[in-house]
Amino acid sequence: MGGDMNLAIIEKEGLHLFVAELLRRKNTVVGVKDQSAVSSIPGDSGFYTYAPINSPEELTLSFDVTLIPPKKYLLPAYEQLLTFNLSPGSIKADAPKEELIVFGVHPYDIIAINQMDKVFSTVPQDNHYLERRKRTTIIGVDPVKIAPRAFWSSMGADTVAGGFDLMLTDIGQCYVMEVGSKKGASLLKMAPKTREAAPAEVKERDKVRTEARKRCDANRLSFSYLELPSLLDGKEEHVIWEEKSHLCFSCGTCNLVCPTCYCFDVRDDVSIDLKKGSRYRTWDGCLLSDFAQVAGGGNFRGHRADRYRHRFYRKGQFIYRRFGDIACVGCGRCSAQCPSDIADPIAVFNRLKEGI
Amino acid sequence: MSKPRVAIFDFAGCEGDQLQIVNLEEGVLDVLGQVEIVTWREAMKEQSDHYDIALVEGSITRKGDEERIKAIREKAKILVAIGACATIGGINCIKNFQDEKFVRRYVYGDKAHWYNTYAARPVSAVVPVDANVHGCPINREEFVQVLKALLQGKKPFIPDYPVCVDCKKAGNVCVLLKGQFCMGPVTRAGCGACCITEGAYCWGCRGLVDDPNMDAARELLGRFGISAGEALGQIRLYDGYGEEAR
Amino acid sequence: MGSPSPYLPGLATIMKIEEQTAMEKLFVVRPNDGKPLGHKPGQFVEVSVFGVGECPISVSSAPNKKADFEICVRRAGNVTNALHNLKAGDVIGIRGPYGTHFPVEDLKGKDLLFVAGGLGIVPLRSFINYVLERRKDYGRIIVLFGARTPADRLFKAEIASLARRPDLEYLETVDVGDASWKGNMGVITTLFPKFTIDPKKTYAIMVGPPVMYRFAIAAARAKGLADDHIIVSLERKMKCGLGKCGHCQMGPVYVCQEGPVFNFAAIKNLEEALS
Repeated sequence: MGGDMNLAIIEKEGLHLFVAELLRRKNTVVGVKDQSAVSSIPGDSGFYTYAPINSPEELTLSFDVTLIPPKKYLLPAYEQLLTFNLSPGSIKADAPKEELIVFGVHPYDIIAINQMDKVFSTVPQDNHYLERRKRTTIIGVDPVKIAPRAFWSSMGADTVAGGFDLMLTDIGQCYVMEVGSKKGASLLKMAPKTREAAPAEVKERDKVRTEARKRCDANRLSFSYLELPSLLDGKEEHVIWEEKSHLCFSCGTCNLVCPTCYCFDVRDDVSIDLKKGSRYRTWDGCLLSDFAQVAGGGNFRGHRADRYRHRFYRKGQFIYRRFGDIACVGCGRCSAQCPSDIADPIAVFNRLKEGI
Repeated sequence: MSKPRVAIFDFAGCEGDQLQIVNLEEGVLDVLGQVEIVTWREAMKEQSDHYDIALVEGSITRKGDEERIKAIREKAKILVAIGACATIGGINCIKNFQDEKFVRRYVYGDKAHWYNTYAARPVSAVVPVDANVHGCPINREEFVQVLKALLQGKKPFIPDYPVCVDCKKAGNVCVLLKGQFCMGPVTRAGCGACCITEGAYCWGCRGLVDDPNMDAARELLGRFGISAGEALGQIRLYDGYGEEAR
Repeated sequence: MGSPSPYLPGLATIMKIEEQTAMEKLFVVRPNDGKPLGHKPGQFVEVSVFGVGECPISVSSAPNKKADFEICVRRAGNVTNALHNLKAGDVIGIRGPYGTHFPVEDLKGKDLLFVAGGLGIVPLRSFINYVLERRKDYGRIIVLFGARTPADRLFKAEIASLARRPDLEYLETVDVGDASWKGNMGVITTLFPKFTIDPKKTYAIMVGPPVMYRFAIAAARAKGLADDHIIVSLERKMKCGLGKCGHCQMGPVYVCQEGPVFNFAAIKNLEEALS
């Protein structure tokens, strides 16, 4: 193995040994598994989930999409922020301590993580998130299987330039492994059977990516995603919001499964003797009926259609105006998991584009 | 400061919620350490009429129940309905859609004339209720949460969003994606989506959210080939007293 | 954590509690570290009652060199109810101050028209007192105060002395009077015909319930005020105060960051701002 490699080749057997080595060194590794292996429900087979792995055999790299994005490791569904005594005197912030390797993250999910990084590092910084992020190693993988509702190819999310420590591409016999950070470079040194990628192999990677992109184009935005902010201008009164939201359960599924949704509620919990307490945050969603309701009872987004519209504006315009990102990466999770199938961004955006 | 006095009462129901409290095991001692239980037919002999918090299980199914629950309401500073029968009417309300005489004879046989029952109803249909611990049976963690909130003098957090939220946080596969029907999208969360997590679907035991989208529910049922009649049956299983079941 | 948690409140002690109405109490709060809050009029703090929760409350006192500051709290939810049950000497948590403030510097030399509806007097009181402490820095001052009923009027004694000041014009109304009420009756806009202003020199500063803004802004415009001469402070649900949790969002704007104080001209086209 040479000195600094930016693009390496790792044999499939070598990758196996690499994962085994990471585990042997007592790293906590989470990777993608078949959901039935986690839930023990046979009917869950064919759906994928991130879960801790204990051996290389448990790891799947040929998944289409996971049910819940890897955000659950950076912004957990429940995250303790503070602990305190109810008769105050001592109060302290919780600091995440565990180091984590997330093995197998698709480019669109890495782009979503990059967006969350931007949100939480904007002053005032959210150090709980940033600390967790710092302790998380991201090993990306290019998709080979395309989820039925995915449309990342038209959201500029087929590849990602940064945000990963290592990025794997299956080119048949072996993987191309791109180094994305210093952490990634030192990890690579742990991997056996690596060598520098030959130009033909890099070309092969491009081919694999192009193939995947073409297959993902089966669902696509009919225009450039960069037009979204201007497309949404003046569409606040469009009939589509009322029409589509007629079937909205206000269940928040579209928010909760979204890799770029980060809204949360903050609540207090107390010990049974009412002497100690903790403050934690938990996922919230702007589609839930009381999301904008104040204690006095007033609700600033009390209508279903307004909440439904807010989400699409947030994806296509608001986050762009605030942080410069289109907050939809085309993973298709909301489209697939919405009980009424009204959450599909391309269905909404393409129709707005058609102007009908 | 003396401990709040708690009394536990049962009306028409299976006592499964009281069993859930007993099932807290070691936890039950922690909970009970904070209060003084003065009346609990299921677990103790002594009875007292002096209590601050009344936990009421079961639905109201006859005139005599009404008088009893009103007397409890008068004595209790805080009245908590526990379990679906008490919070929404529950399974007992299935009989509300059948012939009352037939039901009475079916249950009590030749002693039917002894029991002057009427349409089953939740506790809140008769007296004001301060807090609900939903579910059939109740979720033990939620029961403890509600009790702690009441001891703190705070309004317990009872979600007004669908079970889907709990389901996503639990990381479940949506049962609709597996081609099965589910009441989750219109049912009040707070259970942690326990049934779906165990491989079943949501039966709606916690009742509907405050503003359920019934149009969407009907559309969903249609997609699964479930008729309006069958759908009504599913709602009446637990929420037969509710508006949407009539 | 390498850096401090932005969610970690400082401890503060309730020094004094004054009942204002059946629904509102005024709390004098002193940070336990003895340092002044360092707020400007219009900003808010996140107040913690440990074990119950946290909620945003505007600071009602004018900034000064002392550590004590005041918040006026309406009993509305769990946290505010718990606050009402506390007594002097009890300890709470304070984060902040957060948000934008009234443009106290830019408005120097200008005529000020304060429009306070109900609880809107709470943040405005900070600015009004700030101005009165620097009276000669500002031009003419008109204060309009509207309450639902005479019993809902906040800061009654202070308001009475305000009304007696020769260097300030004070008008007030209640929506519904009672037997003892001899003053104006009707919504706050019914006070507008009772005075004239020089729209070039005047800035209106409005805080009130959501329903007030549309009518009060129309009344101000009818007096010739340009939109950028109207300043409002908006209420929203807030959980973090840090521009993260998403609850206060209206369009691309996070009210806890770009607000709660806004120039009306900057938000008048925002779909959800004042609808």
